[in-house]
Amino acid sequence: MTEYAIDIVNITKRFAGHTAVRDLTLRVPTGSVYGLLGPNGAGKTTTIRMILNIIAPDSGMIHIFGRPSNDPKITERLGYLPEERGLYRKMQVRRVLKFLAELKGVRGSDADRRIDEWLERLSLKTPEKDWGLAKIDELSRGMQQKVQFIGTLLHDPDLVILDEPFSGLDPINAQALKDTVVELKHRGKTVIFSTHLMDNAERLCDSVCIIAQGEKVLDGTVTDVREEHGQRNIALALEGDGMAGVASILRDHSLVKRADDSNRFFEIELAPGADPQALLKRIVESGASVQRFEMIQPSLHQIFLQKVGARGVEERMSGHG
Amino acid sequence: MAKLWAIIKREYLERVRSKWFLIATFFGPIFFSAIIIVPAWLASKSKATSDVYNTTILDATGTGFGHRLAVNIAGDSTIPGRMPTVKVVAPSELTMAESLATHEVMRKQKTGYVVVNQQTLAGESARYAGTNATSIADMAQIKSAIRQTILASRLEKVGLDNEKMKEITFIPLDFSTERITERGRAGSGMASVLFGFAIGFLLYLSIVVYGQTIMSGVLEEKTTRVAEVVMSSVPTDTLLVGKVLGVGAVGLTQQILWIGTTYVLLKLRAPIMAKLGAPAVTFSLPDISLAAGILFLLFFLLGFIFYSSLYAAVGSSVNSESEARQAASPLMIMIVSTGVFIQPVLLNPTGTTAKVLSLVPISSPIIMPIRMAVTGVPPLELAGSLAFLAIGCVLALWLASRIYRVGLLMYGKRPTMKEMARWVSYAR
Ligand SMILES: Nc1ncnc2c1ncn2[C@@H]1O[C@H](COP(=O)(O)OP(=O)(O)O)[C@@H](O)[C@H]1O
Ligand SMILES: [Mg+2]
Repeated sequence: MTEYAIDIVNITKRFAGHTAVRDLTLRVPTGSVYGLLGPNGAGKTTTIRMILNIIAPDSGMIHIFGRPSNDPKITERLGYLPEERGLYRKMQVRRVLKFLAELKGVRGSDADRRIDEWLERLSLKTPEKDWGLAKIDELSRGMQQKVQFIGTLLHDPDLVILDEPFSGLDPINAQALKDTVVELKHRGKTVIFSTHLMDNAERLCDSVCIIAQGEKVLDGTVTDVREEHGQRNIALALEGDGMAGVASILRDHSLVKRADDSNRFFEIELAPGADPQALLKRIVESGASVQRFEMIQPSLHQIFLQKVGARGVEERMSGHG
Repeated sequence: MAKLWAIIKREYLERVRSKWFLIATFFGPIFFSAIIIVPAWLASKSKATSDVYNTTILDATGTGFGHRLAVNIAGDSTIPGRMPTVKVVAPSELTMAESLATHEVMRKQKTGYVVVNQQTLAGESARYAGTNATSIADMAQIKSAIRQTILASRLEKVGLDNEKMKEITFIPLDFSTERITERGRAGSGMASVLFGFAIGFLLYLSIVVYGQTIMSGVLEEKTTRVAEVVMSSVPTDTLLVGKVLGVGAVGLTQQILWIGTTYVLLKLRAPIMAKLGAPAVTFSLPDISLAAGILFLLFFLLGFIFYSSLYAAVGSSVNSESEARQAASPLMIMIVSTGVFIQPVLLNPTGTTAKVLSLVPISSPIIMPIRMAVTGVPPLELAGSLAFLAIGCVLALWLASRIYRVGLLMYGKRPTMKEMARWVSYAR
């Protein structure tokens, strides 16, 4: 096995007068779960399309398992779930899956067997009802997502590429997806997914890369990234009343550089040189009842805001994706 | 190769399985035999109909002329009872008899009546009145029967016996028409024009219908984003070629089924026409050699590839059916303006217009087969037409594949022509 499932060196992609990805370098270790993080329009989908050789970079190199990404043999080892989902609406579920399997070089009878296994596993085929015989049209949205997911994994790819896999999933399907990602990792597969939701990434990923406006902001293992961004953060949880007083303390820039307010829970980044004890003292004096006050490593979300800048993100978030 | 095959197979099977295909395949031959049978049936009207038998002869000659005329009108009709009724009347009762006969016609018991009298014997005049008085063929038959009877009675006067007389006057002339082209005789003239029209119409219809089919197919893949999954597995060129060939194979299947069943229906035409009450017409289909048949299919396939790859490009560059219809209008104009020339080319298949149109790839897949159906086309022109069309196909496919691979990933507003031109120069 090669060390890196994906090895990207200095790729750039321009669209009519606008650079979507600029000089990006990243390496995805084989067998890891990798998160490609960034606000909407950062260039995640463009990067993923280049990895899959759907579009070619203007410059730079991409190697997949040590081979150039345009090697036709490579595609059979990749599974891809695009950002927006859909399948041939008028086609029978089974036939769609078989078609997708054939495109990945799975032979007929083998494909049938795997389709059966998957349909049963995701309870699309029960003794009462075989949804495999229904048309895509007749399936609920959740079921269609399952079918699409089967299509991604049917040929047992070594590298699974998911573009915004959590968007539009209900909590149950989202949990099922997380379980599957973990299971794929246990089976030695490599998973890379893009998301603009940091919570999912923080829990699932071994490594991450944050990009914004087509450029890499930082990358590395989640542990390293968080350690690098120091211990200057405080988790604060409050009980009862007294919020108003606390709010004004948090606005004091001699103590607090930035506070992420989730109503009763705050993640606070201390101002340079500020003393955490002084902060605690002032909060207690304000009469608030403190439930938790703890020095923590910053969350990816914090790091993300810090690096990309809250304003930039909001502007981008409201734009198209 | 296996992947190309998978794409072709999906396109083919999904479409052949659809209800629409079954319906079209079933109604096609009915439609086409209708456009062949109805004109043939109308044409048969130009032969005298059975109306001429359902007449009355008012014979005021007093010489038995009426009975002879009845036999001559019936001609060689072998069907018993198909002979006009003869009423021998005295010249003074003629007016009375005529008004009776008029009433019979008005009550639809008879089609009409013939009056023969002394002037008829003298070869001067006869009269006919009836509902079919405007039917040229019916009148011609009655008129020639009267002439024949006059001739017979004159011959009788000069002492010819009955047998001899029949021998001399019986002229069952069958006047068949045949057209001559540069390459020799080409079968019944009308039949080949009809055939040419049917071919042209069939090609025209197929190109429009299958072009639109492939366009919506591409659009569906784009809007559902299946295209992206497929593109991650196969090169876009393979996807495009697979789609064009798959849908083309559906078209070819349909054409072959249509031609096959139409052929069978035409074989059964005689009984169908008999049911319609028309006498059997000798109506020979032009002899289509196997080579010509293969050429027709080749023109269909190449014409289809030319247009459907362009339709695929249009489908990939838009985001909705309504946008697609608008964006496809240049293609529609190309096809419809070719359709406008079908009739002029049928009327003058060797003219300059016909020659030029059968060389230009935009129109040649429709015009050349029409010319082949109605006239002999020199092999050099055929080869030229095929060569240009093949080059046209390569260019169209090349152009389409450049637009296709960019368009499929481009969401949002519909591109302008200028933007699409720029896509062509994009690397990928
Ligand atoms: N096919 C395309 N043609 C032109 N511009 C594109 C195309 N795809 C993406 N872009 C642009 O590139 C930028 C990055 O887009 P994308 O990779 O989709 O971002 P993300 O997936 O991170 O939201 C956006 O500004 C987008 O408008
Ligand atoms: Mg995206």
